[in-house]
Amino acid sequence: MSRERSVLPGFGLTVGYTTFFLSAVVLLPLTAMIIKASNIDHAAFFKLLLNPEVVASYKISFGTSFLAAIINSIFGFLIAWTLTRYDFAGRKFLDALIDLPFALPTAVSGIALTAVFAQDTWLGSHLAAMGIKVVYTWVGITVALTLIGMPFVVRAVQPALAEVQRDIEDAAETLGAGRFTIFRRIIFPTILPSLLTGFAMAFARGIGEYGSVVFISGNLPMKTEITPLLIVKRLEEYKYVDAAALGCIMLGMSFVMLLSINLLQAWSRRRLFVGKRR
Amino acid sequence: MSITLDQITKRYQNTPVVNDVSLDVGDGEFFVLLGASGSGKSTLLRAIAGLTGVDHGRISLHGRDVTHMSPRKREVGLVFQNYALFKHMSVADNIEFALRVRNVKAAERRERRKELLRLVALEGMDDRLPTQLSGGQQQRVAVARALAHKPQVLLMDEPFGALDAKIREELRTTIRQVQRELKISTILVTHDQEEAFALADRIGVMNLGRLLEVGRPEELYARPATRFVATFLGAANLLLARQTADGIRVGTTPVTAPLDKLWDLRVTQREHEVVAVLRPEELALAASRDSLNTIYLGNGVVESTLFTGAYERLKVRMTEPDKSAACTDGNSANGSDHLATLDVTRSQHSQRQLPLIPGQTVAVGVRRIHVLPTPLSSYVVYAKSAAKIDALKTHPFLVELATRMKTRITSQLEPQLGARTSKEHTLTPLAGVAVIQSTSHAAADLDWLLNHGASEVLLLPDALVQPRRVLIHWTDDTVRHATLAVSASVLRHVAAEATYLNILPKQDEAQKSDGMRELLDARSTAQAAHGLEMRTELHFGDVASELSKQLATNPEQMLILGVSNVDDVQERFASLLKHSHQFPVMIVYREPQGVAA
Repeated sequence: MSRERSVLPGFGLTVGYTTFFLSAVVLLPLTAMIIKASNIDHAAFFKLLLNPEVVASYKISFGTSFLAAIINSIFGFLIAWTLTRYDFAGRKFLDALIDLPFALPTAVSGIALTAVFAQDTWLGSHLAAMGIKVVYTWVGITVALTLIGMPFVVRAVQPALAEVQRDIEDAAETLGAGRFTIFRRIIFPTILPSLLTGFAMAFARGIGEYGSVVFISGNLPMKTEITPLLIVKRLEEYKYVDAAALGCIMLGMSFVMLLSINLLQAWSRRRLFVGKRR
Repeated sequence: MSITLDQITKRYQNTPVVNDVSLDVGDGEFFVLLGASGSGKSTLLRAIAGLTGVDHGRISLHGRDVTHMSPRKREVGLVFQNYALFKHMSVADNIEFALRVRNVKAAERRERRKELLRLVALEGMDDRLPTQLSGGQQQRVAVARALAHKPQVLLMDEPFGALDAKIREELRTTIRQVQRELKISTILVTHDQEEAFALADRIGVMNLGRLLEVGRPEELYARPATRFVATFLGAANLLLARQTADGIRVGTTPVTAPLDKLWDLRVTQREHEVVAVLRPEELALAASRDSLNTIYLGNGVVESTLFTGAYERLKVRMTEPDKSAACTDGNSANGSDHLATLDVTRSQHSQRQLPLIPGQTVAVGVRRIHVLPTPLSSYVVYAKSAAKIDALKTHPFLVELATRMKTRITSQLEPQLGARTSKEHTLTPLAGVAVIQSTSHAAADLDWLLNHGASEVLLLPDALVQPRRVLIHWTDDTVRHATLAVSASVLRHVAAEATYLNILPKQDEAQKSDGMRELLDARSTAQAAHGLEMRTELHFGDVASELSKQLATNPEQMLILGVSNVDDVQERFASLLKHSHQFPVMIVYREPQGVAA
C-alpha cells in the first residue's frame, strides 16, 4: 500500500509524535492517578464509592451537567440558527460574545453569577419572591454550567447549519413541505451529528467544571456538592488516595458516557456521509 | 397556455434584475431561457416557483393566478444545479418525499417511485444514499423527485451545470425523453447555447433582466433582431454598413447579397447606417476575387488559423478595397477607424481546396447577410472643441452603452454647432446617433444637428448617470414607430424600467378613453413590433411641463422623446432641455412623410 504525499513529514514520524504527545500529556498523568488510587484496597474503594455523600455528589454533578447540556443544545441551536441565517446589525458583535465564556476564568463567571442571583440582589430577590431559589441550589449549578457550556454547542452547530444549503429547503418547499416538516425532516436530521458533538462537549465540560460552580452552589454536602469539589475537599484533608480514587471513578464514568455519545454521533454521521469517495 | 408571465419585474436595491418580462409557454412545450450569469434568468425561474416574490406583474400556471401563492401550493417541480438532494435519505425516500407530505399511501408511493426510477433509468437504486451515486445519477434522482407529485410544470435551473460533457449529453437525452413522455410544460434555464439548441422547442434570450427575443432555435439563429442575440447565439461578425435604396453596402462595396429584410427598417427610404450580421460560416475565402463563387466583400489578410477538428477557424483582417468597413465592435474610444477583423469558419473540404497560413492575402466573399432592425448603429460625438469631445467620448454612460452595443464612438469637431441655420432639405443624413453635451444652449445645438440631417441625438449631462427608469413620449404618430424602435434598442442595453407617457391637453371623459386606447395600442405595438415591454401612464396637461414634472420625481431617469417638427425643439421643449443637465435625453426625429419626398 502506498501512502499519499503530504505536507507533514512521513507517517511514522507523525504517528510517533501523536503517541508520544498523548502519552505525555494525557495518559501519563491519568495513569499516575490510577496507580495512586490503586493503593486503596477493594473494600475501602467500594465503601468510598458508595458513601452517601459521594453518591449524592455524582447525582448532582452528572444530573446538572446533563440538564445544562440539554438546555444548551436547545438554546445553543437557536443562537447558531440566528447567527447563520440572519444578517442584522450587531451580528458580528454577538458572534464574538459567544466565545467569551471560553476566555473568562471560570471563577469570574461564578462571581458574576452570584452577583446577579444572590438573594440580596434585584433579580435574586424577585425570583425568591416567586419561590425560585437559585443560589445554593442545584438550579444555580445548572445556570453556571449552562453559561460555561453554551459556546461548545453554538460553535459545533454553526458550521453544520451554514452547510445546509438553502436550495435543499427550497426543494422541500416546492415539493409541498411546510416549515415544520422541513425542519423536522430535513434540517434537524442534517445537523443532528453536530448537535450531538456540541452536546457531548458541553456535557463533558460541565462534569469537569469547578471554578464557576463553587461560588453559586454554596457547597452544601448531600445537596449542592459536586464531585470535583468533593475531591478538593479530600485533598484539603490530605486524603490523597481517596481523592485519586474519586477521580478514577469520575474518569471511568465520563469515559463511558463520552464514548457512547461519540458512537451515537458516529452512527448518525455515517448516514450522512457514507459512500465511496469520487 | 400553461405558464403565463405578465410584465414580471423584480428589483434588488432599486435596480430591476427581472425587467418587465412577459411570456407564454404552451402545454407540453420545452422552453429554454438562455442568458449569461446575472441576466436574471434564474431569478425569473425562482419567481415562477414562488421562491422569490415579484415587485410587479402576474404569474399564472394553467390559468390559475399563483402570483401570491406559496411555493408549496404551486404544484411545480424544481430541479437545481447542485441537485439539492436530501443527503440523509435514501433514493426511495427522496423520491417519495412529496408524496409522503401529501399522506399518500405506502403502496401507491412505491408504485409511483418504481415508475419514476424506470423513467430516469435508475431501476434498483432505491436503497442507495445520494452520496453513493455519481453526479449524473444524483441529478436523475432529483428529476424523479421533482416529478413525483405530478406537477403541472417542471422548472430546471442549470441542471447540467455541475456535470462533465459526456454525462451531460446522456442526461440531456433522458430529460428530453421524460419531458416528451409526460408532455409536461418545462422551463429550463441555461447559459449554454448548445444545450438550448439541443433541447428547446423555443428559446428565450435574456440580458440585463429583459427577455430580448423569443423564437424557435433555427429562427433565432438565422434572423436575430438584436445584437445581443446575434452574438450570444453562435458567433457573429457585426459590421456597420449602409443601407441604400437598392441594397446594402459594406464599405464601398455594394453588396446585393440575398438580404432578408424582415423589418420595415425605416419609414424613409433614404440612405442610412445599419448593423449587418455576417455569420462566420457564411463567409467564403478564395485566392482571388475571380475564383470566389459568392458575392465579393473585399480583400483581407489571414491573421490566424485555428484547427478545431471538423472546422477551421480563421481571423481575417480586411484591407481592401476600403478601410471604412469598420467592425462595429472593438473599442474605438480613441477614435481611429478600426479595420474589420472577421471571424471565418471553414469546413474540412474547403480547407483542403485552399490551405491558408497567416499572412496570406485572400478574397473574402459572403453568402448571406442579415441586417439587424436596430435604428442605433454607432455614436458620433459632436462638440465645438477637442477638449469637450474627449470629455464626452469617455462619458461613462456613453461608453457603457457603446460597449454593450458592441459599437464604436467616433467624433466630429463642429465649430458651427449651435449656430442659426436656415432650413434646407438637401441633407445627407448623418450616420449613427449624434451625441452632444447637455448645456444651457443644448436646444440650439440640437436644432443645428436636426437641421443637418441627424435623426437621433443623445444629450448627455456631465454628472454620472445610471438611469433606472426611462420615460418615453412622442409628440405625434409620425414618430411613434421610430421612437419605439429607438427605445427598444436603448432599453436592451440599460438596466432600466420603461414607461410610456401619453399626455393629453385636458382631462375629460372622451379624451380619457381615447388616451387609454392609445396606451394599449402603444404597448401592443412595442411588444409585437419591437419586442419591448413597457408600462404605460396617462397624464393630462402641457406636454413639456408634465414631462418636467415626471423627470423631477426621481434623479435616476432618462427621457426618450420623439419629435416630428424641428421647431418644436426650440419652442415647446426649450425649458425642458434647459434642465436636461440632470438626466440624459434621447431625441428621435422623423420628418412627416410627404415632406421628405
